[in-house]
Amino acid sequence: MIEFNRRSLLAGMGAAALPLAAQAQTAMTAAVYPGGWDEALANVLAPALRARHNVSVAFDPLFAVDQIAKARAARGTPSFDVFVLDPGPRVSGIDFSLFESFDPTRLPSRGVLPDGYADAQGAAVAAQVVGIAYNPTKVPKPTGWRDLFQPQFASKLGLTGFGTTFGTISLIEMAKALGGSEANMDPLFTELRRIKPSVAAVAQPAAMPGLFQQGQIDLMYTNTYTVTLLRSRGVPIAFAVPETGAAAFVTTMHIAKGSRNIAAAYQYIDTMISTPVQTALAAAPYFFVPVNRDVTPGEDVPMRSISEINRFVTHDWSVINPLRAGWISRFNREMAG
Amino acid sequence: MHRFSGGDKALALLIMALAALALLVLVGPVLVVLITSFTTSQALRFPPPGLTLRWYQELFDPVRSAQIHRAAGNSLLVATLTAIAATALATGAALAIARSRAGWARFAEGAFMAPLVLPGIAFGLAALMFFSWLHLPPSLWLLVAGHAMIAGPFALRTIGASAAGLDPALLESSAALGASPWRTFRRVVLPLIMPGVAAGAFLAFVSSLDNVPVSLFLSSAQTDMLPIRLWGMMETALDVRVAAASGVLVAVAFTLLLVMDRAVGLVRRMSA
Amino acid sequence: MEARGVWRLALPLGIAQLLFFAAPLLLLAGTSFSTDENLTQTSLRAWREVVGDTFHIQSAINTLRLGALAVCATALLAVPLALLHLAAGPVLRRIILIAAVLPLLTSVVVRTFSWIVILGREGLINTTLMGLGLTSAPIALLQTEHGLVLALTQIEMPLMLLPLIAALARIDPALLDASASLGGSLFRTLRRVVLPLALPGLLAGATLVFASATTAFISQGVIGGGRLNYLPALVWQNAMVVFDWPLAAAMALTLMASVLMVAGLLSLLGRGARHA
Repeated sequence: MIEFNRRSLLAGMGAAALPLAAQAQTAMTAAVYPGGWDEALANVLAPALRARHNVSVAFDPLFAVDQIAKARAARGTPSFDVFVLDPGPRVSGIDFSLFESFDPTRLPSRGVLPDGYADAQGAAVAAQVVGIAYNPTKVPKPTGWRDLFQPQFASKLGLTGFGTTFGTISLIEMAKALGGSEANMDPLFTELRRIKPSVAAVAQPAAMPGLFQQGQIDLMYTNTYTVTLLRSRGVPIAFAVPETGAAAFVTTMHIAKGSRNIAAAYQYIDTMISTPVQTALAAAPYFFVPVNRDVTPGEDVPMRSISEINRFVTHDWSVINPLRAGWISRFNREMAG
Repeated sequence: MHRFSGGDKALALLIMALAALALLVLVGPVLVVLITSFTTSQALRFPPPGLTLRWYQELFDPVRSAQIHRAAGNSLLVATLTAIAATALATGAALAIARSRAGWARFAEGAFMAPLVLPGIAFGLAALMFFSWLHLPPSLWLLVAGHAMIAGPFALRTIGASAAGLDPALLESSAALGASPWRTFRRVVLPLIMPGVAAGAFLAFVSSLDNVPVSLFLSSAQTDMLPIRLWGMMETALDVRVAAASGVLVAVAFTLLLVMDRAVGLVRRMSA
Repeated sequence: MEARGVWRLALPLGIAQLLFFAAPLLLLAGTSFSTDENLTQTSLRAWREVVGDTFHIQSAINTLRLGALAVCATALLAVPLALLHLAAGPVLRRIILIAAVLPLLTSVVVRTFSWIVILGREGLINTTLMGLGLTSAPIALLQTEHGLVLALTQIEMPLMLLPLIAALARIDPALLDASASLGGSLFRTLRRVVLPLALPGLLAGATLVFASATTAFISQGVIGGGRLNYLPALVWQNAMVVFDWPLAAAMALTLMASVLMVAGLLSLLGRGARHA
């Protein structure tokens, strides 16, 4: 009897599945950070999205600040449907009205998020940790940000400017270690000027992992996901937590205003915070920091649970954002002048 | 050929040495890329520690390299459309310039060739600003339009050279025998300028495939272009597949070069 | 086809260029004279920043210098190779031409990538030098201007070589034989006959190389690095990172103007030489 029923049930399900499969696949575009995130989301999130919701996603690799710039340039006809942003660019996005109003109740999985991690702007999807990466076969472990300016470290260091969140945070932390602050970055620029002739390289943020892999630099400030990406490629690299503490921030996703795939965008974000996807991302070789309360992070994830984020160094982006353009310009001039 | 004196011998030797150096500099990097594409190491060391086909296997793996394949497909599509557009536009212009004695023809020729000299990055930015101002989102057709503007001069040059060799008497006699202008074009003109047209179409195609400045500003995730994706891979993803992709591109370019040279004497036309 | 109405054939290209080439450039110019990207108000702010800031002026000077260096380096190598092509038999001629055309057909990304492998700390040049014992530590070639010029020499050489070959090909072989039979040395023949006739090719090549080298921002960025200051990178940064479109537009126009100026100068030189 049971066999019969099961068989007919399966047959019935099969028949019901046919129209679903015959439905046209929805296509959407999402912005993603180049490098580690690009690979991770392409290998984990995209297949899950296709299996669950029959949505195919094309990825546009852009750093957070570049997403804002591109969205502003597009003037209401965005070329991607979903942003992935760090806190600073998130504030910019709000200021420039680049987001669709976000309704957390449209995320069926929202129960796994801690309170306040989904609001009218968007939803948090991961945390990131920023610190110092070094090649243990070529350089001793640096103890903190000040070490980077010592001759034996500076000559192997790769410098990059304020064009990304990790760059901005690292340089601010360096300024603080040298006695400065967000309001006073002069101590930092004095030291940068001093070591400029001897540093191994000065380059765009996107170029740093490549330079590290080629052995052009053996020391850089970066995100932990870059460290795990390089390690998975067989590059000898380790993460050093500075004595002042590693910096961390929450990364959020938002729906672009004017997007024509809003339903698919909600499904995308929902899949991103869902337990299977967050578990896969928190495991080898990606080691993302999950926001999902039900996920146990892999061994090498720098945060055991998202609630630990309060123990890390955080920053006030409402103070930083207005100052950043000036810093970008100043860094250019000091380095290339 | 000449009777060389002592001083002449030294000069000839110097010239030969520099010429040999020039050849080495021209060809060397291409060989370096080819050799590097077989390296066993994940880093770009030269000489490579060992040889393997692994990167080519990964490059052609449709799952692992899906994004590269899609970018390559996009680039090929855009290049084909660009070649068609540029060739069609340039053929008309070349014929008009060749057959006209008026002063405007020289001026027009200069104006049409302007994109060759103007900085691509300036034009890319200008195009982005223009389409953004018109509230047109980045799309395949805008990208093709941008590429066609840059590719036009290449086609114009080779087709113009062919058109300049057209004997007006042929066209006059065709008209005198009662053929319509379109018939004359199809039966008399086109076959005569076909080598120039083919060479021009090929150059327009290649110029579009290789275009970075316009693609950088006008492409979106749907129109992900191959040079841009390779550039990104080169920097961030640290992928030796870039070397393999370069190897493929070099092999394809070389083959096409030999084919086009046999067919329409491409190399001769490019140096004319 | 009658010659009367034939000008109409040029209309499609003309209209396309007006729409998709001239109009964007006009907008670019207009944006440079505005306060922001929406063209709300006219202002000279962007131009004042370009002209009044030593950083920007230095950037323009660096870019022009890079172009000049690239022209000299490519000319130094391309002229002898073109002369060899002139004197060579058909097989060698074909080889030279294929070698000249092949880099043009491969992507600029491929060409730049090959130079990373050559100039890198563990690249071809350093392993050769260290292997021969000429140096004990790798020399820095990436992130330097001389490394960049070296790379640009190869990347741009076809643009110099092809016009030169074309110009030399137009020389009447009878002239060369006459010069030789009149007892002229090689040096004399080159100086009095060949090089003056090759000059138009040299100038055309110089224009193309200058235009290409000054705007080669991938090569400048990847091989040159962040301590070198050139206009194309500033255009990109101001357009897409800082999002100051008027300033980006002003810099793009500065770049365009410099290239056009040099092209015009070279063209004048050519006309002057012809009358000499």
